[in-house]
Amino acid sequence: MITAVHFRNFKVLRSAAVRLEPFNLLIGPNGSGKTSLIQAMLRLRTLAALPVTHAHELEGQRPEGPRIEFAFGAPFREVRVILGCNTDELVCNQLVVDHPPGADGERQWTELRDWLRSIRAYLFDHYAMAVPAKRADGAELASNAGNLAAVLAARRAAEPAAMALLEDEFRRVMPEFSALVLRDAPDDRVELAARLAGGDEVVAADSLSQGTLYFLAILALAYAPRPPGVVCLEEADRGVHPRMLREVRDALYRLSYPRDAGLDRAPVQVVTTTHSPYLLDLFRDHPEEIVLADKQGQAATFKRLTDREDLRELMQEANLGDLWYSGILGGVPGQ
Amino acid sequence: MSGAPVAPRLRIALLSESPADEAALRVLVEFVLGEPFTAVPPSLRARGWPSVEQVLPSVIRHLHFNTAADGLVVVVDSDDSPVHQPEHEAPGYHHPYCRVCRLRAVFRRATKNLPPSHGRSRVLRAVGLCVPALEAWLLCGRDTSVTEAAWTEGQAAGRPPYTRRELKWRVYGTERPSLPHEVKRAVQEVSRHRGDVRRLENDFPQGFGVLARDLRGWREPAAAAPDR
Repeated sequence: MITAVHFRNFKVLRSAAVRLEPFNLLIGPNGSGKTSLIQAMLRLRTLAALPVTHAHELEGQRPEGPRIEFAFGAPFREVRVILGCNTDELVCNQLVVDHPPGADGERQWTELRDWLRSIRAYLFDHYAMAVPAKRADGAELASNAGNLAAVLAARRAAEPAAMALLEDEFRRVMPEFSALVLRDAPDDRVELAARLAGGDEVVAADSLSQGTLYFLAILALAYAPRPPGVVCLEEADRGVHPRMLREVRDALYRLSYPRDAGLDRAPVQVVTTTHSPYLLDLFRDHPEEIVLADKQGQAATFKRLTDREDLRELMQEANLGDLWYSGILGGVPGQ
Repeated sequence: MSGAPVAPRLRIALLSESPADEAALRVLVEFVLGEPFTAVPPSLRARGWPSVEQVLPSVIRHLHFNTAADGLVVVVDSDDSPVHQPEHEAPGYHHPYCRVCRLRAVFRRATKNLPPSHGRSRVLRAVGLCVPALEAWLLCGRDTSVTEAAWTEGQAAGRPPYTRRELKWRVYGTERPSLPHEVKRAVQEVSRHRGDVRRLENDFPQGFGVLARDLRGWREPAAAAPDR
């Protein structure tokens, strides 16, 4: 698990640190660094696959210019990774790794490197999801979920039990549908559709609502037999009715807290963003999972909601969503 | 053979904070009334306190004019607020932080000047308070350490005997139950009180007791009288 990220002179994040938990909901105004955090994690993934600079090669010097430092939880607590960025173009092309000396340190870095390569970020695109997908592209959900049909078709063929669970959940949450339909399309593609309950009428993906498609993509992640190590999801609430946000939260919790769902697999670290006070309301019992991005002038910072000592008192007479919207918590535009 | 005339089923609206609360309430209301009722659609939901208090006047007005609802059941969590007490029942008494007192006050204000509609003068009121949360009611009879008295004493001493999260753990086996699991467990637990809700009334005399008393009053002739 990534336990902390520290930004130095990176875009609006001049000096900003964020502590991360298994599940993290980021809130804050536009341009406050929420997406920058996700981009930093993606850059970390990319550079982890390439040759890196070892800290001892720098002889005690840190990379000049903007940098982003990452800390990790057990068993990688002793490994530090720094993304060094170019000052002019803010491109981060250097990965500096500091790990314990010797074979054990090398092994730790090798294992961490493999895990970092499983970081994924998603911003779903319902137009892309509605287009028939190449069957051959069904190994893993794409960042825009444009291959959702292929992923579900592959899962139905190779992992029917996992797919059955997903479909059960889909029908429970959206009882207007009786089944997912994955039908052949030209050029060895597969098209997603859903059968309406109480009849044989089938609704093609391009006629399904955005919220239905987005929720299906979240289910595809939450019910994946082998999910990524880190899931970053932009705008988890997008297109979803406020009363259905509980289902979105639960699906994401299934990733972060698999044991609570009766699953025997490693937790997936989730970093997601929202602008929905309604989604925020659902974290009343777990405010420690909320990260508030705050922008003062041209500089942004992160803080955990639970860093507010008076939060408990504030929550006695207001919802988290209203507290946020009102400005009491910060994390609102125009500061 | 002809018996006493059968009263028509009560049409009841429920306003709660979550689907699990609503599922449990449906069961408990029927147990208290001792008869099935017809739920008024759609299900009403509030985003926790204080949105229940904020939305309640509109809910009452809507039910009064746009539905044939006989009564409205409102149940909220007490969280850290003061627990309703017998002295709050004194005529004219109003505790500014007691959620039962506050919800009753909203009912009074909202129904005060409404003209009759749908053949009744007003929508009947039943207000309950889960102390500190629904999970406490769900543990009633199963975990003897969870009672209104234990909570109130702990609150007075500045050491609450348990937290909401602990109660969740005790009921669901996790602090983050899925919605289906939460609903299933809620219904399972309240169903233990079928035919006899005295234990709930005994262990939660103010939060559940006031709700039960309100509900039982609905079939009494005086139910048409204005709320206190």
